[in-house]
Amino acid sequence: MMRISPLATISLLTLTGVVFLLLYGPLVVPIASSFFDVAHGNVQWDQPSLSSYAQLAANDGIITAFKNTLLVGFSASFLALVCGTLLALHYCSGRSLAREAMQFGVYLPFLMPPIITGLSLLIFFRELGVPRSLITVIAGHTIFVQALCYRTVVLRLQSLGSSLVEASTDLGASAWQTMFHILLPNLTSTLIGAGVLSFALSFDETMITLLVTGTDSTLPIRLWAMMRLGFTPDINALVALILLLTFVLCILVIRQFPSEFDSQG
Amino acid sequence: MIFVGSARTGLWPRALAAFAYALPVIVIALPLFSFLSYSFFRVDNGEIVRDLGLFNYRRFFTDAIFIPVLLQTCILCLAVAGLATLIGYPVAFQLANLKGRRRYFLLLLVLVPLLMSYIIKIYAIRSILGGNGFLNRFLLWAGFITQPSSLFVFNLNAVLLTLTILLIPFAILPIFLSLERIPKSLIEASNDLGATNLQTFRWIVLPLSLPGIVTASTFVFVLAIGDFLTPQMVGGQSGFTFGRIIYSQFGTAFNWPFGSALAAILTFVIVIVIGLGNRLERRWL
Repeated sequence: MMRISPLATISLLTLTGVVFLLLYGPLVVPIASSFFDVAHGNVQWDQPSLSSYAQLAANDGIITAFKNTLLVGFSASFLALVCGTLLALHYCSGRSLAREAMQFGVYLPFLMPPIITGLSLLIFFRELGVPRSLITVIAGHTIFVQALCYRTVVLRLQSLGSSLVEASTDLGASAWQTMFHILLPNLTSTLIGAGVLSFALSFDETMITLLVTGTDSTLPIRLWAMMRLGFTPDINALVALILLLTFVLCILVIRQFPSEFDSQG
Repeated sequence: MIFVGSARTGLWPRALAAFAYALPVIVIALPLFSFLSYSFFRVDNGEIVRDLGLFNYRRFFTDAIFIPVLLQTCILCLAVAGLATLIGYPVAFQLANLKGRRRYFLLLLVLVPLLMSYIIKIYAIRSILGGNGFLNRFLLWAGFITQPSSLFVFNLNAVLLTLTILLIPFAILPIFLSLERIPKSLIEASNDLGATNLQTFRWIVLPLSLPGIVTASTFVFVLAIGDFLTPQMVGGQSGFTFGRIIYSQFGTAFNWPFGSALAAILTFVIVIVIGLGNRLERRWL
Protein backbone atom coordinates (compact mmCIF):
# COMPACT_ATOMS: atom_id res chain seq x y z
CA MET A 1 0.00 0.00 0.00
CA MET A 2 2.79 2.41 0.89
CA ARG A 3 6.52 2.33 0.35
CA ILE A 4 8.20 2.50 3.75
CA SER A 5 11.78 3.16 4.72
CA PRO A 6 13.82 0.22 6.11
CA LEU A 7 14.04 1.77 9.57
CA ALA A 8 10.25 2.21 9.75
CA THR A 9 9.78 -1.34 8.46
CA ILE A 10 11.98 -2.74 11.21
CA SER A 11 10.25 -0.80 13.97
CA LEU A 12 6.81 -1.75 12.65
CA LEU A 13 7.76 -5.42 12.51
CA THR A 14 9.23 -5.29 16.02
CA LEU A 15 6.12 -3.66 17.42
CA THR A 16 3.87 -6.15 15.65
CA GLY A 17 6.00 -8.94 17.11
CA VAL A 18 5.67 -7.49 20.61
CA VAL A 19 1.90 -7.21 20.25
CA PHE A 20 1.65 -10.84 19.14
CA LEU A 21 3.76 -11.74 22.18
CA LEU A 22 1.31 -9.80 24.39
CA LEU A 23 -1.66 -11.53 22.77
CA TYR A 24 -0.30 -15.06 22.83
CA GLY A 25 1.90 -14.96 25.95
CA PRO A 26 -1.10 -15.20 28.29
CA LEU A 27 -2.25 -18.26 26.34
CA VAL A 28 1.11 -20.05 26.22
CA VAL A 29 2.38 -19.46 29.78
CA PRO A 30 -0.38 -21.40 31.60
CA ILE A 31 -0.10 -24.30 29.15
CA ALA A 32 3.67 -24.46 29.65
CA SER A 33 3.45 -24.22 33.42
CA SER A 34 0.85 -27.01 33.62
CA PHE A 35 3.64 -29.48 32.87
CA PHE A 36 5.78 -28.48 35.86
CA ASP A 37 5.65 -29.04 39.60
CA VAL A 38 4.28 -26.38 41.90
CA ALA A 39 5.73 -25.75 45.35
CA HIS A 40 4.87 -22.92 47.77
CA GLY A 41 2.56 -21.40 45.17
CA ASN A 42 5.37 -21.08 42.62
CA VAL A 43 5.95 -23.00 39.43
CA GLN A 44 9.19 -25.00 39.65
CA TRP A 45 10.50 -24.61 36.12
CA ASP A 46 13.21 -27.25 36.66
CA GLN A 47 10.82 -30.01 37.73
CA PRO A 48 8.63 -31.23 34.89
CA SER A 49 5.70 -33.37 36.01
CA LEU A 50 2.11 -34.24 35.30
CA SER A 51 1.03 -33.96 38.92
CA SER A 52 -1.27 -31.03 38.20
CA TYR A 53 -3.24 -33.23 35.78
CA ALA A 54 -3.48 -35.96 38.42
CA GLN A 55 -4.85 -33.41 40.89
CA LEU A 56 -7.34 -32.19 38.32
CA ALA A 57 -8.64 -35.72 37.75
CA ALA A 58 -9.43 -35.87 41.47
CA ASN A 59 -11.46 -32.66 41.31
CA ASP A 60 -15.11 -33.75 41.14
CA GLY A 61 -16.71 -30.40 40.33
CA ILE A 62 -14.86 -30.09 37.03
CA ILE A 63 -16.69 -32.87 35.20
CA THR A 64 -20.06 -31.47 36.27
CA ALA A 65 -19.00 -27.97 35.24
CA PHE A 66 -17.83 -29.31 31.88
CA LYS A 67 -21.14 -31.09 31.28
CA ASN A 68 -23.01 -27.91 32.25
CA THR A 69 -20.91 -25.86 29.83
CA LEU A 70 -21.66 -28.25 26.97
CA LEU A 71 -25.37 -28.34 27.82
CA VAL A 72 -25.57 -24.55 27.98
CA GLY A 73 -23.48 -24.10 24.83
CA PHE A 74 -25.51 -26.52 22.70
CA SER A 75 -28.91 -25.33 23.96
CA ALA A 76 -28.06 -21.64 23.65
CA SER A 77 -26.56 -22.01 20.15
CA PHE A 78 -29.56 -24.04 18.97
CA LEU A 79 -32.12 -21.61 20.41
CA ALA A 80 -30.16 -18.62 19.10
CA LEU A 81 -30.01 -20.14 15.61
CA VAL A 82 -33.76 -20.78 15.56
CA CYS A 83 -34.69 -17.36 16.95
CA GLY A 84 -32.03 -15.52 14.93
CA THR A 85 -33.17 -17.15 11.68
CA LEU A 86 -36.85 -16.38 12.32
CA LEU A 87 -36.02 -12.76 13.19
CA ALA A 88 -33.84 -12.46 10.08
CA LEU A 89 -36.58 -13.92 7.86
CA HIS A 90 -39.00 -11.32 9.17
CA TYR A 91 -36.50 -8.48 8.76
CA CYS A 92 -35.83 -9.47 5.15
CA SER A 93 -39.51 -9.80 4.27
CA GLY A 94 -40.02 -6.08 3.83
CA ARG A 95 -38.97 -2.65 4.95
CA SER A 96 -40.46 -0.72 7.84
CA LEU A 97 -39.56 1.34 10.86
CA ALA A 98 -40.84 -1.44 13.12
CA ARG A 99 -38.31 -3.83 11.55
CA GLU A 100 -35.49 -1.38 12.24
CA ALA A 101 -36.65 -1.06 15.85
CA MET A 102 -36.72 -4.84 16.15
CA GLN A 103 -33.19 -5.05 14.75
CA PHE A 104 -31.95 -2.45 17.22
CA GLY A 105 -33.49 -4.43 20.08
CA VAL A 106 -31.85 -7.65 18.91
CA TYR A 107 -28.43 -5.99 18.72
CA LEU A 108 -28.70 -4.34 22.16
CA PRO A 109 -27.46 -7.26 24.32
CA PHE A 110 -24.41 -7.56 22.06
CA LEU A 111 -23.68 -3.82 22.14
CA MET A 112 -24.27 -3.14 25.83
CA PRO A 113 -21.67 -4.16 28.38
CA PRO A 114 -22.42 -7.69 29.61
CA ILE A 115 -22.89 -6.38 33.15
CA ILE A 116 -25.98 -4.44 32.00
CA THR A 117 -27.43 -7.40 30.07
CA GLY A 118 -26.66 -9.70 32.98
CA LEU A 119 -28.20 -7.63 35.73
CA SER A 120 -31.29 -6.76 33.65
CA LEU A 121 -31.93 -10.47 33.24
CA LEU A 122 -31.16 -11.12 36.90
CA ILE A 123 -33.78 -8.57 37.97
CA PHE A 124 -36.25 -9.73 35.30
CA PHE A 125 -36.03 -13.37 36.42
CA ARG A 126 -36.53 -12.31 40.02
CA GLU A 127 -39.62 -10.34 39.05
CA LEU A 128 -40.97 -13.39 37.21
CA GLY A 129 -40.16 -15.61 40.17
CA VAL A 130 -37.83 -17.83 38.10
CA PRO A 131 -35.09 -19.26 40.32
CA ARG A 132 -31.52 -18.91 39.10
CA SER A 133 -30.37 -22.12 37.43
CA LEU A 134 -28.88 -23.44 34.21
CA ILE A 135 -32.15 -22.45 32.51
CA THR A 136 -31.52 -18.78 33.27
CA VAL A 137 -27.91 -19.18 32.11
CA ILE A 138 -29.13 -20.69 28.81
CA ALA A 139 -31.57 -17.80 28.39
CA GLY A 140 -28.79 -15.26 29.02
CA HIS A 141 -26.43 -16.88 26.52
CA THR A 142 -29.18 -17.24 23.91
CA ILE A 143 -30.03 -13.54 24.07
CA PHE A 144 -26.35 -12.68 23.77
CA VAL A 145 -25.41 -14.90 20.80
CA GLN A 146 -28.77 -14.50 19.03
CA ALA A 147 -27.61 -11.07 17.80
CA LEU A 148 -24.71 -12.74 16.03
CA CYS A 149 -26.84 -15.50 14.45
CA TYR A 150 -29.38 -12.91 13.33
CA ARG A 151 -26.72 -10.73 11.73
CA THR A 152 -25.07 -13.55 9.75
CA VAL A 153 -28.41 -14.86 8.48
CA VAL A 154 -29.56 -11.37 7.43
CA LEU A 155 -26.32 -10.87 5.47
CA ARG A 156 -26.77 -14.23 3.75
CA LEU A 157 -30.44 -13.60 2.91
CA GLN A 158 -29.56 -10.20 1.46
CA SER A 159 -26.82 -11.68 -0.71
CA LEU A 160 -29.21 -14.40 -1.91
CA GLY A 161 -31.54 -11.79 -3.36
CA SER A 162 -35.19 -12.28 -4.14
CA SER A 163 -35.08 -14.04 -7.53
CA LEU A 164 -34.89 -17.55 -6.05
CA VAL A 165 -37.95 -16.96 -3.90
CA GLU A 166 -39.82 -15.33 -6.79
CA ALA A 167 -39.02 -18.22 -9.10
CA SER A 168 -40.14 -20.71 -6.48
CA THR A 169 -43.43 -18.86 -5.94
CA ASP A 170 -44.04 -18.47 -9.68
CA LEU A 171 -43.65 -22.21 -10.06
CA GLY A 172 -46.45 -22.65 -7.56
CA ALA A 173 -44.62 -23.43 -4.32
CA SER A 174 -46.27 -22.43 -1.04
CA ALA A 175 -44.45 -20.25 1.49
CA TRP A 176 -43.61 -23.37 3.50
CA GLN A 177 -42.28 -25.21 0.48
CA THR A 178 -40.14 -22.21 -0.48
CA MET A 179 -38.88 -22.06 3.09
CA PHE A 180 -37.84 -25.70 3.33
CA HIS A 181 -36.79 -26.40 -0.26
CA ILE A 182 -35.20 -23.10 -1.25
CA LEU A 183 -34.22 -20.90 1.70
CA LEU A 184 -33.06 -23.38 4.33
CA PRO A 185 -30.76 -25.37 2.00
CA ASN A 186 -29.14 -22.09 0.97
CA LEU A 187 -28.66 -21.07 4.58
CA THR A 188 -27.06 -24.33 5.77
CA SER A 189 -23.40 -23.30 5.66
CA THR A 190 -24.20 -19.90 7.20
CA LEU A 191 -26.13 -21.58 10.01
CA ILE A 192 -23.28 -24.02 10.72
CA GLY A 193 -20.77 -21.17 10.86
CA ALA A 194 -22.96 -19.04 13.12
CA GLY A 195 -23.69 -22.07 15.31
CA VAL A 196 -20.02 -22.90 15.86
CA LEU A 197 -19.16 -19.28 16.61
CA SER A 198 -22.12 -19.05 19.02
CA PHE A 199 -20.98 -22.18 20.80
CA ALA A 200 -17.44 -20.81 21.10
CA LEU A 201 -18.75 -17.53 22.56
CA SER A 202 -21.07 -19.33 24.96
CA PHE A 203 -18.25 -21.67 26.00
CA ASP A 204 -16.26 -18.70 27.37
CA GLU A 205 -19.06 -16.38 28.46
CA THR A 206 -18.34 -15.34 32.05
CA MET A 207 -19.83 -11.97 33.00
CA ILE A 208 -23.51 -12.60 32.15
CA THR A 209 -23.24 -16.14 33.52
CA LEU A 210 -21.76 -14.95 36.81
CA LEU A 211 -24.81 -12.74 37.35
CA VAL A 212 -27.60 -15.11 36.30
CA THR A 213 -26.30 -18.45 37.55
CA GLY A 214 -27.47 -20.12 40.73
CA THR A 215 -25.53 -22.94 42.35
CA ASP A 216 -24.71 -24.63 39.03
CA SER A 217 -21.45 -23.54 37.51
CA THR A 218 -20.06 -23.63 34.02
CA LEU A 219 -16.31 -24.01 33.42
CA PRO A 220 -15.47 -20.27 33.43
CA ILE A 221 -17.44 -19.83 36.66
CA ARG A 222 -15.71 -22.84 38.22
CA LEU A 223 -12.34 -21.38 37.18
CA TRP A 224 -13.29 -17.99 38.59
CA ALA A 225 -14.14 -19.61 41.94
CA MET A 226 -10.89 -21.62 41.97
CA MET A 227 -8.75 -18.60 41.06
CA ARG A 228 -10.26 -16.47 43.78
CA LEU A 229 -9.39 -19.05 46.41
CA GLY A 230 -5.76 -18.81 45.41
CA PHE A 231 -3.25 -20.69 43.37
CA THR A 232 -3.56 -24.44 43.08
CA PRO A 233 -1.69 -26.52 40.51
CA ASP A 234 -4.82 -28.08 39.04
CA ILE A 235 -5.88 -24.64 37.78
CA ASN A 236 -3.02 -24.70 35.28
CA ALA A 237 -3.98 -28.17 34.07
CA LEU A 238 -7.60 -27.15 33.66
CA VAL A 239 -6.59 -23.94 31.90
CA ALA A 240 -4.40 -25.91 29.49
CA LEU A 241 -7.24 -28.32 28.68
CA ILE A 242 -9.77 -25.51 28.17
CA LEU A 243 -7.38 -23.62 25.89
CA LEU A 244 -6.87 -26.79 23.86
CA LEU A 245 -10.63 -27.17 23.49
CA THR A 246 -11.14 -23.53 22.51
CA PHE A 247 -8.32 -23.85 20.03
CA VAL A 248 -10.17 -26.70 18.33
CA LEU A 249 -13.31 -24.53 18.35
CA CYS A 250 -11.33 -21.66 16.80
CA ILE A 251 -10.15 -23.88 13.97
CA LEU A 252 -13.74 -24.97 13.39
CA VAL A 253 -14.85 -21.33 13.31
CA ILE A 254 -12.08 -20.34 10.91
CA ARG A 255 -12.81 -23.26 8.59
CA GLN A 256 -16.34 -21.93 8.17
CA PHE A 257 -15.18 -18.64 6.73
CA PRO A 258 -12.30 -19.33 4.32
CA SER A 259 -14.22 -18.34 1.20
CA GLU A 260 -15.02 -14.90 2.61
CA PHE A 261 -11.37 -14.24 3.37
CA ASP A 262 -10.31 -15.46 -0.07
CA SER A 263 -12.75 -13.26 -1.91
CA GLN A 264 -11.55 -10.18 -0.08
CA GLY A 265 -7.86 -10.94 -0.60
CA MET B 1 -38.03 -10.34 -0.25
CA ILE B 2 -38.96 -13.58 1.40
CA PHE B 3 -42.67 -13.54 0.66
CA VAL B 4 -44.01 -12.86 -2.80
CA GLY B 5 -47.51 -12.20 -4.05
CA SER B 6 -50.32 -13.94 -2.19
CA ALA B 7 -47.87 -15.47 0.31
CA ARG B 8 -47.50 -12.02 1.89
CA THR B 9 -50.91 -12.13 3.48
CA GLY B 10 -50.84 -15.76 4.60
CA LEU B 11 -50.76 -17.12 8.12
CA TRP B 12 -47.02 -17.87 8.10
CA PRO B 13 -45.82 -14.25 7.54
CA ARG B 14 -48.21 -13.03 10.23
CA ALA B 15 -47.04 -15.61 12.75
CA LEU B 16 -43.44 -14.75 11.88
CA ALA B 17 -44.08 -11.04 12.39
CA ALA B 18 -45.80 -11.65 15.71
CA PHE B 19 -42.86 -13.74 16.89
CA ALA B 20 -40.28 -11.25 15.59
CA TYR B 21 -41.81 -8.36 17.53
CA ALA B 22 -42.76 -10.28 20.66
CA LEU B 23 -39.37 -11.91 21.23
CA PRO B 24 -37.18 -8.77 21.54
CA VAL B 25 -39.86 -7.08 23.64
CA ILE B 26 -40.06 -9.99 26.08
CA VAL B 27 -36.43 -11.02 26.39
CA ILE B 28 -34.70 -7.67 25.85
CA ALA B 29 -36.98 -4.66 26.40
CA LEU B 30 -38.81 -5.99 29.49
CA PRO B 31 -35.59 -6.95 31.35
CA LEU B 32 -34.15 -3.50 30.58
CA PHE B 33 -37.35 -1.89 31.78
CA SER B 34 -37.35 -3.86 35.03
CA PHE B 35 -33.71 -2.96 35.59
CA LEU B 36 -34.48 0.73 35.09
CA SER B 37 -37.51 0.62 37.36
CA TYR B 38 -35.48 -1.09 40.10
CA SER B 39 -33.17 1.90 40.13
CA PHE B 40 -36.08 3.95 41.57
CA PHE B 41 -36.82 1.44 44.35
CA ARG B 42 -34.97 1.31 47.64
CA VAL B 43 -33.83 -1.20 50.23
CA ASP B 44 -35.05 -1.13 53.82
CA ASN B 45 -33.83 -3.72 56.34
CA GLY B 46 -32.71 -6.05 53.55
CA GLU B 47 -36.12 -5.86 51.85
CA ILE B 48 -36.73 -4.15 48.52
CA VAL B 49 -39.32 -1.38 48.98
CA ARG B 50 -41.24 -0.61 45.82
CA ASP B 51 -42.01 3.06 46.09
CA LEU B 52 -40.61 5.12 43.29
CA GLY B 53 -38.13 7.84 44.17
CA LEU B 54 -34.80 9.35 43.26
CA PHE B 55 -33.29 8.05 46.50
CA ASN B 56 -30.49 6.06 44.84
CA TYR B 57 -29.55 8.82 42.42
CA ARG B 58 -29.45 11.32 45.28
CA ARG B 59 -27.13 9.00 47.17
CA PHE B 60 -24.83 8.80 44.14
CA PHE B 61 -24.53 12.57 43.91
CA THR B 62 -24.29 13.33 47.64
CA ASP B 63 -22.09 10.50 48.93
CA ALA B 64 -18.45 11.51 48.54
CA ILE B 65 -17.21 8.12 47.29
CA PHE B 66 -19.07 7.42 44.07
CA ILE B 67 -18.35 10.39 41.79
CA PRO B 68 -14.56 10.19 42.34
CA VAL B 69 -14.61 6.44 41.60
CA LEU B 70 -16.63 7.05 38.43
CA LEU B 71 -14.20 9.78 37.33
CA GLN B 72 -11.22 7.61 38.16
CA THR B 73 -12.73 4.72 36.20
CA CYS B 74 -13.43 6.98 33.21
CA ILE B 75 -9.83 8.24 33.25
CA LEU B 76 -8.56 4.67 33.55
CA CYS B 77 -10.69 3.52 30.61
CA LEU B 78 -9.66 6.56 28.54
CA ALA B 79 -6.06 5.60 29.21
CA VAL B 80 -6.78 2.00 28.20
CA ALA B 81 -8.50 3.22 25.00
CA GLY B 82 -5.62 5.60 24.20
CA LEU B 83 -2.95 3.00 24.87
CA ALA B 84 -4.70 0.22 22.95
CA THR B 85 -5.27 2.54 19.96
CA LEU B 86 -1.68 3.79 20.07
CA ILE B 87 -0.32 0.23 20.09
CA GLY B 88 -2.98 -1.08 17.73
CA TYR B 89 -2.45 1.52 14.99
CA PRO B 90 1.05 0.46 13.88
CA VAL B 91 0.00 -3.19 13.95
CA ALA B 92 -3.09 -2.46 11.84
CA PHE B 93 -0.87 -0.41 9.50
CA GLN B 94 1.57 -3.29 9.20
CA LEU B 95 -1.26 -5.73 8.44
CA ALA B 96 -2.86 -3.42 5.88
CA ASN B 97 0.50 -3.16 4.09
CA LEU B 98 0.72 -6.92 3.61
CA LYS B 99 -0.55 -8.46 0.41
CA GLY B 100 -3.01 -11.22 -0.37
CA ARG B 101 -3.67 -14.14 1.91
CA ARG B 102 -0.96 -13.29 4.45
CA ARG B 103 -2.86 -10.13 5.41
CA TYR B 104 -6.03 -12.01 6.35
CA PHE B 105 -4.13 -14.83 7.97
CA LEU B 106 -2.38 -12.39 10.33
CA LEU B 107 -5.63 -10.54 10.95
CA LEU B 108 -7.13 -13.89 11.94
CA LEU B 109 -4.22 -14.47 14.31
CA VAL B 110 -5.00 -11.11 15.95
CA LEU B 111 -8.64 -12.10 16.38
CA VAL B 112 -8.15 -15.71 17.58
CA PRO B 113 -7.26 -14.71 21.18
CA LEU B 114 -10.68 -13.03 21.43
CA LEU B 115 -12.30 -16.46 21.30
CA MET B 116 -10.00 -17.75 24.03
CA SER B 117 -11.31 -17.74 27.58
CA TYR B 118 -11.40 -14.21 28.97
CA ILE B 119 -10.92 -15.33 32.53
CA ILE B 120 -7.92 -17.50 31.70
CA LYS B 121 -6.22 -14.58 29.99
CA ILE B 122 -6.75 -12.33 33.03
CA TYR B 123 -5.41 -15.06 35.30
CA ALA B 124 -2.36 -15.63 33.10
CA ILE B 125 -1.60 -11.90 32.82
CA ARG B 126 -1.87 -11.65 36.60
CA SER B 127 0.70 -14.38 37.06
CA ILE B 128 2.98 -12.78 34.45
CA LEU B 129 2.77 -9.37 36.15
CA GLY B 130 3.00 -10.73 39.71
CA GLY B 131 5.91 -10.85 42.16
CA ASN B 132 7.35 -14.09 40.76
CA GLY B 133 6.10 -13.56 37.25
CA PHE B 134 7.95 -13.30 33.97
CA LEU B 135 7.93 -9.50 33.96
CA ASN B 136 9.75 -9.23 37.29
CA ARG B 137 12.17 -12.02 36.38
CA PHE B 138 12.96 -10.24 33.15
CA LEU B 139 13.46 -6.85 34.85
CA LEU B 140 15.68 -8.47 37.52
CA TRP B 141 17.67 -10.29 34.87
CA ALA B 142 18.07 -7.12 32.80
CA GLY B 143 19.22 -5.24 35.89
CA PHE B 144 16.46 -2.61 35.89
CA ILE B 145 15.43 -3.52 39.42
CA THR B 146 17.19 -5.23 42.30
CA GLN B 147 14.19 -6.84 43.96
CA PRO B 148 10.82 -8.01 42.64
CA SER B 149 8.50 -5.06 42.18
CA SER B 150 4.87 -5.09 43.24
CA LEU B 151 4.09 -2.09 41.03
CA PHE B 152 2.35 -4.22 38.41
CA VAL B 153 -0.11 -6.27 40.36
CA PHE B 154 -3.11 -5.61 42.63
CA ASN B 155 -3.41 -1.92 41.84
CA LEU B 156 -4.75 0.36 39.10
CA ASN B 157 -1.57 -0.06 36.99
CA ALA B 158 -2.31 -3.75 36.80
CA VAL B 159 -5.91 -3.08 35.72
CA LEU B 160 -4.65 -0.65 33.06
CA LEU B 161 -2.07 -3.07 31.67
CA THR B 162 -4.35 -6.10 31.76
CA LEU B 163 -7.29 -4.37 30.10
CA THR B 164 -5.01 -2.94 27.41
CA ILE B 165 -3.57 -6.35 26.57
CA LEU B 166 -7.02 -7.94 26.55
CA LEU B 167 -8.61 -5.29 24.34
CA ILE B 168 -5.88 -4.58 21.75
CA PRO B 169 -7.58 -6.78 19.09
CA PHE B 170 -10.70 -4.59 19.36
CA ALA B 171 -8.52 -1.59 18.53
CA ILE B 172 -6.66 -3.24 15.66
CA LEU B 173 -9.75 -4.42 13.74
CA PRO B 174 -11.54 -1.09 13.08
CA ILE B 175 -8.27 0.70 12.28
CA PHE B 176 -7.33 -2.08 9.87
CA LEU B 177 -10.72 -1.83 8.16
CA SER B 178 -10.40 1.94 7.74
CA LEU B 179 -6.84 1.65 6.38
CA GLU B 180 -7.95 -1.07 3.98
CA ARG B 181 -10.65 1.17 2.55
CA ILE B 182 -8.19 3.90 1.50
CA PRO B 183 -7.99 3.79 -2.32
CA LYS B 184 -4.52 2.86 -3.59
CA SER B 185 -4.83 5.54 -6.25
CA LEU B 186 -4.75 8.29 -3.63
CA ILE B 187 -1.44 7.06 -2.27
CA GLU B 188 0.00 6.60 -5.74
CA ALA B 189 -1.12 10.10 -6.69
CA SER B 190 0.54 11.49 -3.58
CA ASN B 191 3.77 9.62 -4.39
CA ASP B 192 3.69 10.74 -8.02
CA LEU B 193 3.28 14.33 -6.97
CA GLY B 194 6.52 14.05 -5.03
CA ALA B 195 5.36 13.68 -1.45
CA THR B 196 7.70 11.84 0.90
CA ASN B 197 6.42 8.75 2.67
CA LEU B 198 6.00 10.72 5.86
CA GLN B 199 4.02 13.42 4.06
CA THR B 200 1.79 10.83 2.40
CA PHE B 201 1.15 9.28 5.79
CA ARG B 202 0.54 12.59 7.54
CA TRP B 203 -1.75 14.16 4.93
CA ILE B 204 -3.44 11.19 3.25
CA VAL B 205 -3.38 8.00 5.31
CA LEU B 206 -3.77 9.39 8.83
CA PRO B 207 -6.75 11.69 8.10
CA LEU B 208 -8.55 8.94 6.19
CA SER B 209 -8.04 6.48 9.03
CA LEU B 210 -9.37 8.85 11.71
CA PRO B 211 -12.86 7.27 11.67
CA GLY B 212 -11.22 3.92 12.38
CA ILE B 213 -9.26 5.42 15.26
CA VAL B 214 -12.45 6.89 16.77
CA THR B 215 -14.33 3.58 16.41
CA ALA B 216 -11.39 1.72 17.95
CA SER B 217 -11.17 4.02 20.98
CA THR B 218 -14.93 4.02 21.56
CA PHE B 219 -15.02 0.23 21.30
CA VAL B 220 -12.19 -0.24 23.77
CA PHE B 221 -13.54 2.38 26.18
CA VAL B 222 -17.00 0.81 26.31
CA LEU B 223 -15.62 -2.70 26.77
CA ALA B 224 -13.20 -1.54 29.47
CA ILE B 225 -15.74 0.43 31.51
CA GLY B 226 -18.23 -2.45 31.53
CA ASP B 227 -15.67 -4.98 32.75
CA PHE B 228 -15.78 -5.97 36.40
CA LEU B 229 -13.83 -9.22 36.23
CA THR B 230 -10.44 -7.71 35.43
CA PRO B 231 -10.41 -5.14 38.26
CA GLN B 232 -11.72 -7.79 40.63
CA MET B 233 -8.92 -10.22 39.69
CA VAL B 234 -5.92 -7.92 39.34
CA GLY B 235 -7.05 -4.72 41.07
CA GLY B 236 -6.57 -5.74 44.68
CA GLN B 237 -7.62 -3.29 47.38
CA SER B 238 -6.68 -0.07 45.60
CA GLY B 239 -7.86 -0.96 42.11
CA PHE B 240 -11.49 -0.10 42.74
CA THR B 241 -13.58 0.64 39.68
CA PHE B 242 -17.19 1.58 39.03
CA GLY B 243 -18.00 -1.82 37.51
CA ARG B 244 -16.73 -3.51 40.67
CA ILE B 245 -18.97 -1.35 42.86
CA ILE B 246 -21.99 -2.23 40.70
CA TYR B 247 -21.18 -5.93 40.89
CA SER B 248 -20.75 -5.79 44.67
CA GLN B 249 -24.25 -4.29 45.03
CA PHE B 250 -25.61 -7.50 43.50
CA GLY B 251 -23.42 -9.71 45.64
CA THR B 252 -22.09 -8.93 49.08
CA ALA B 253 -23.70 -5.49 49.55
CA PHE B 254 -27.10 -6.81 48.39
CA ASN B 255 -28.57 -3.52 47.34
CA TRP B 256 -30.07 -4.25 43.93
CA PRO B 257 -31.90 -0.91 43.56
CA PHE B 258 -28.73 1.07 44.23
CA GLY B 259 -26.74 -1.24 41.94
CA SER B 260 -29.36 -0.67 39.23
CA ALA B 261 -29.09 3.10 39.64
CA LEU B 262 -25.28 2.92 39.33
CA ALA B 263 -25.65 0.68 36.26
CA ALA B 264 -28.09 3.19 34.77
CA ILE B 265 -25.49 5.93 35.30
CA LEU B 266 -22.89 3.70 33.64
CA THR B 267 -25.23 3.19 30.68
CA PHE B 268 -25.69 6.96 30.47
CA VAL B 269 -21.90 7.48 30.35
CA ILE B 270 -21.58 4.82 27.62
CA VAL B 271 -24.37 6.35 25.52
CA ILE B 272 -22.65 9.76 25.76
CA VAL B 273 -19.28 8.30 24.74
CA ILE B 274 -20.80 6.44 21.76
CA GLY B 275 -22.71 9.60 20.76
CA LEU B 276 -19.52 11.68 20.90
CA GLY B 277 -17.71 9.05 18.85
CA ASN B 278 -20.44 9.12 16.19
CA ARG B 279 -20.32 12.90 15.99
CA LEU B 280 -16.56 12.93 15.57
CA GLU B 281 -16.73 10.29 12.86
CA ARG B 282 -19.41 12.13 10.95
CA ARG B 283 -17.42 15.34 11.00
CA TRP B 284 -14.46 13.62 9.36
CA LEU B 285 -16.32 11.59 6.80
